Amino acid sequence: MHLVLFFIFGGLCVVGALNLLLQSHPINSALSLIVVMSSLAVLYLLLGAEFLAAAQVIVYSGAIMVLFTFVIMLLNAGREERTHGSRMAYIAGFPGAAVLLGLLSYIFLSNRGHLGNARLGSYLVTTGDLSRVLFRDLLLPFEVTSVLILIAILGAVALARKEH
Amino acid sequence: MTSTHSLHLWLLPLVPFAGFLVNALLGRRFPRALVTAVALIATLIPFLQVLGIASQFSSLSLPHLEQFGTWIAAGSFHADFTFALDQLTLVMLLVVTGVGFLIHLYSAGYMAHEDGYWRFFAYLNLFMFFMLTLVLAENYLLMFVGWEGVGLASYLLIGFYYTRDSAANAGKKAFVVNRVGDFGFLLAMFLFIAHFGTLSFSSIFSQITAHPELHGGFLTAIALCLVLGATGKSAQIPLYTWLPDAMEGPTPVSALIHAATMVTAGVYMVARTHVLFDRSPLALSTVAIIGTATAFFAATVALVQTDIKRVLAYSTISQLGYMFLACGVAAYSSGVFHLVTHAFFKALLFLAAGSVIHALSGEQDMRVMGGLRKKIPVTFWTMTMAVFAISGLPPLAGFVSKDEILYHAFTAPGPGKLLWFVGLFTAFLTSFYMFRLWYLTFFGENRAEKAAAHAHTPASSHHAEVDEHHHAIHESPWIMLGPLAILAVLSVIGGWMGWPEGLGGGNWFGHFLAPALASQHVAEAGSNSLEVTLALISTLVALAGWFLAHLFYFAKPELPEKLSVSLRAFYNLLLNKYWIDELYGAVVIAPVLFLSRFVLKGLIDTGVINGGSYAAAYTTQGMGAIVQRLQSGNIRSYAGWLALGAAGLLLLTYFGFGAHLSLR
Amino acid sequence: MTANFQLLRILPEVILTIAGVLIMLIEPLLGHSTSRKPLGWFAVLSVFASLAASFAQLGMAAGTAYYGVIQTDAFSVFFHVLIALIVLVSLLVTIDTANANTESLGELFALMVFGAVGMMLMTSATELLLVFIGLEISSISTYIMAGFRRKNVKSTESSLKYFLLGSFATAFFLYGIALIFGATGTTDINAIASQLGTSAVPMFATIGLGMILIGLGFKVSAAPFHVWTPDAYEGAPSPVVGLMSTAPKAAAFAVLLRIVYVAFPALHAHWQPLLWLMAAFSMTIGNLGALRQQNVKRMLAYSSIAHAGYLLVAFTALSTDGIAAASFYAMSYAAMNVGIFAVVSHASGYDERLSLISDYRGLAYRSPLLGGALGFFLISLIGIPFTGGFFGKFYVFASALHSGMVWLTIIGLVNSGIAAFYYLRLLASAYSKPTNNALLDPMPRASFALLLALVITISGTLILGIVPGQILAMSHNAAVSLTSGIANPAPSATHQ
Repeated sequence: MHLVLFFIFGGLCVVGALNLLLQSHPINSALSLIVVMSSLAVLYLLLGAEFLAAAQVIVYSGAIMVLFTFVIMLLNAGREERTHGSRMAYIAGFPGAAVLLGLLSYIFLSNRGHLGNARLGSYLVTTGDLSRVLFRDLLLPFEVTSVLILIAILGAVALARKEH
Repeated sequence: MTSTHSLHLWLLPLVPFAGFLVNALLGRRFPRALVTAVALIATLIPFLQVLGIASQFSSLSLPHLEQFGTWIAAGSFHADFTFALDQLTLVMLLVVTGVGFLIHLYSAGYMAHEDGYWRFFAYLNLFMFFMLTLVLAENYLLMFVGWEGVGLASYLLIGFYYTRDSAANAGKKAFVVNRVGDFGFLLAMFLFIAHFGTLSFSSIFSQITAHPELHGGFLTAIALCLVLGATGKSAQIPLYTWLPDAMEGPTPVSALIHAATMVTAGVYMVARTHVLFDRSPLALSTVAIIGTATAFFAATVALVQTDIKRVLAYSTISQLGYMFLACGVAAYSSGVFHLVTHAFFKALLFLAAGSVIHALSGEQDMRVMGGLRKKIPVTFWTMTMAVFAISGLPPLAGFVSKDEILYHAFTAPGPGKLLWFVGLFTAFLTSFYMFRLWYLTFFGENRAEKAAAHAHTPASSHHAEVDEHHHAIHESPWIMLGPLAILAVLSVIGGWMGWPEGLGGGNWFGHFLAPALASQHVAEAGSNSLEVTLALISTLVALAGWFLAHLFYFAKPELPEKLSVSLRAFYNLLLNKYWIDELYGAVVIAPVLFLSRFVLKGLIDTGVINGGSYAAAYTTQGMGAIVQRLQSGNIRSYAGWLALGAAGLLLLTYFGFGAHLSLR
Repeated sequence: MTANFQLLRILPEVILTIAGVLIMLIEPLLGHSTSRKPLGWFAVLSVFASLAASFAQLGMAAGTAYYGVIQTDAFSVFFHVLIALIVLVSLLVTIDTANANTESLGELFALMVFGAVGMMLMTSATELLLVFIGLEISSISTYIMAGFRRKNVKSTESSLKYFLLGSFATAFFLYGIALIFGATGTTDINAIASQLGTSAVPMFATIGLGMILIGLGFKVSAAPFHVWTPDAYEGAPSPVVGLMSTAPKAAAFAVLLRIVYVAFPALHAHWQPLLWLMAAFSMTIGNLGALRQQNVKRMLAYSSIAHAGYLLVAFTALSTDGIAAASFYAMSYAAMNVGIFAVVSHASGYDERLSLISDYRGLAYRSPLLGGALGFFLISLIGIPFTGGFFGKFYVFASALHSGMVWLTIIGLVNSGIAAFYYLRLLASAYSKPTNNALLDPMPRASFALLLALVITISGTLILGIVPGQILAMSHNAAVSLTSGIANPAPSATHQ
């Protein structure tokens, strides 16, 4: 059952991602991204990370993607132009990416037996456990994230503000 | 610190440095007289101090160390601000401050009409600061400070006429070529740290002395690195190419830096490090061979040069070769002796040449000189002394020191006889080209008027002033002639302090230096009669050179022309300095430039990298233009490179080096 | 252990955060025509306070706080001080350069201060997640600052490129953390080493480390991850380039030192050759790239790639001296590079009137002060003795050769020889008499802020070269505290 679900949603995820890249209209790409995000949520669920799955759906598929779609609609962005790309991207980029993919797959497959050491928590993570990590052990990183978000907002305001 | 009282050695370099600071910061607003006064006093005080030290020298316990504080203490290694004084240092100090002061004096007259007068003297004082630091340093790191510093000062002074591209390029060339030498020096220092854990002279040398079994091996490696450093600073093969170009600088600079002091730093360094060299026969032979080859090679090039300063430049390279030869046969004190006498007569030659150039309002081409003997008599007579001295005519300074080197080469084991013969032949060439210069400049008819008719543009017209005397040949002012006279006297008698024992002298100089330069190799194998014979031969050779020059350039002036036609290929080879500059250009510089272009353009899309293409996008076209540019490919290729680099790195991480290949 | 005590360990960051928030809040209250420079001076003061707070941490026993995510020790203090000084000078240069055309100056000050928070956290974090967040803070603030000259297409382009490529590199870094977590079950730097000892699966950890090297290699612009550097530097405002070429790099180097020496000493056979290669490539590509460059900022960009290479040489030494040399070099490079960008910023102004080397012709005549300062910093970059540039390099190569890295030392020395050539080109240009009289117009007067910046950088460069004793001792203590692995689990040591 798990395996079947994994293949369905894993496949969906990959197809969605490819579609995202190949579509020339931004709105289609954005919709493909929703597919990717939602299938990822299912994959998280299969791994037993319910909270993460829920957060994924709410935050990514929900909030962020809605915002994306709105922005694209508002800007009324047209089709992308097809460009030649660059010689170097073909010479260096594709072999590089292929090697990366191949190497990582090879390593994961050949070291498969050693996997599974890390424990994310007991199989069903309670909100209590999660909170302990988030608000106690990792309190400082959690709080510092607010600075990160703050500068993102600050930067967006500074860069997007109308000139006077 | 030793038990003797402090000599305040720190004052020696710091007084010129103070002079530099005053002139550099305030000189622009000073009147010229004040600039001159500051610069002269800043060099006179150290000279007087050195004289004071010399007068009480016998009462000092040597080597006299003075430590002023810790400079660097990093982990196990540390270096101090320590100055040391011994016989070798004293000799160098006397030369640097004495000749240095005379040249400062001369410059006050020579540079009187130049722009940027204050800048010139500021740099000159800066040079004195670094040179004195170099000489006084008690460890390699401090010596390297001086070593790099004199290079910097030399760069600033060569490129003094920045508006002239050739000067700026010559300065850059001198600097960059010297960087190659510095590479050797630095590597040697790192090896010293790795093997001895210190850079202090005394502690390195005592460690070497304490281990008689140390021989060759890493000592040779260190010594060869030092030799590379020395060839850079002392303009020896293979790094001599910068010195002839350095003649773009003002003539007093050529006299001070590129004849008397800075270029001898390499010889000083080898002599200072002689304990190390004594343990490495290979390094010593390298020094000897480099020195002999350079001496001969530079002398041949000097035969055909027509620019008076270039002849002297090649002559300097050649004479430095003699000093290297002396060090190479472990006759360090002879090398230092030649260094001293050479400082006298070569500084004199340059200054006199400067006086000639001054008289001719900037003309440097010997082909348009001639007949100046009567017009500038003081310059003529002083220069005559120098020419006689460098040609090796007894009993002048050059004869004594050169003869001593040749004698030591002759008695040296191994290929000593060959070295002696090449050295002797070089002495013949030296005599020839120096008398050639003498005849071309001072004898015959005055060719300047003839040349002027041909609308000849002077090779170098650095004299900015166009006064009413532009064409009138005039003797230089006394502020310039005074130093000439003093140096002329020294060129005559300067050698007598080292008159060899074989010729009935006491070789006081050699004995004086002996404690500092005691070498294991000194073997007084020769006999008095041998020394007399050798001296006789070199005298004859010098006279032969004079005779030939007389024949070619005085008696039958049409001969050289014929000879250059009949030996055209050889003549061209010499005229083009064996095409060494071109060779370096093709073998070293062109590949580097090619690689540079490859890095810039080959790796990443053409056109986006040199900044030129931005001009088009500069006009504000808003986001559209940016998106277009981003999609035109260059960000993709950057990402492509990142991906490739990442893939390569991960492959190496996974498959690793480990046992297969260890990178050092 | 009281909360107050823990707060002391992040006091420098706290001060800066508060200051940043204040600047951000005050900025909109000021009228359009009001000068923003007082805000800048306020930022300078806050950075100074943060600097003092960092020094005060030296008085505390080294230890961790907030459940082990942060550790203050001599090492973290060294880099805190360095980052604070860089940001301080950059703020001064920004104050000097800003003119009526400058937009959003208040936000720029706030971003600089916030960026410093991120960088400081990177240097004291012992939790990879916190390192990551610090890295993001520092990167995102830099991306934004790079695009601050909005009217200039180049600036926007620079920002976008930097952002896109930077995100690419960050992804590697994050993936690396995930793999390491997968292999060791922890993201605590201090704990990883002990986990590696017991666990039998170092391969994922090794690959994770490789990923981290890629991510950090990008941040320090080490070859082959350097491609973004020239474009990003050329477009960004000069005062920002002075900052982004030094502070985030110093922080990234600190992280790299902590990760490789504290978490992965066991894997040194893997990472040492990688860093060897990165060092050799960075030095060579950086210097060759700079050789023919006509644009000053691009030239300095390539030069900064080369300097990243020199610094990486120290990593390969695998010794305390190597770590100390790396820290020392980071400081000396920062002093001269921030200094030279101060000169470039003032000389070319906010609208970048001068960009090519030939544009600098006659600079020394137009302003002897700027010409002299430029010459001084170039001499230090070349590596002439008595400057920080020389001694930094000397220390790096001496420690490398001491550990037997003969070839790397030779490559490095050859490169530093080549480097003289392009620095001299700029120097010669600045001291040439201009042929065109228009180039002889005097420069705008140097403001107090600029003078202060120059005094700090010049005296810093001189101190590092002539009397480096104090700073050497600091860097040595930093190195010792890093390798001794204090990792005090119970930060209950008494505060003096």
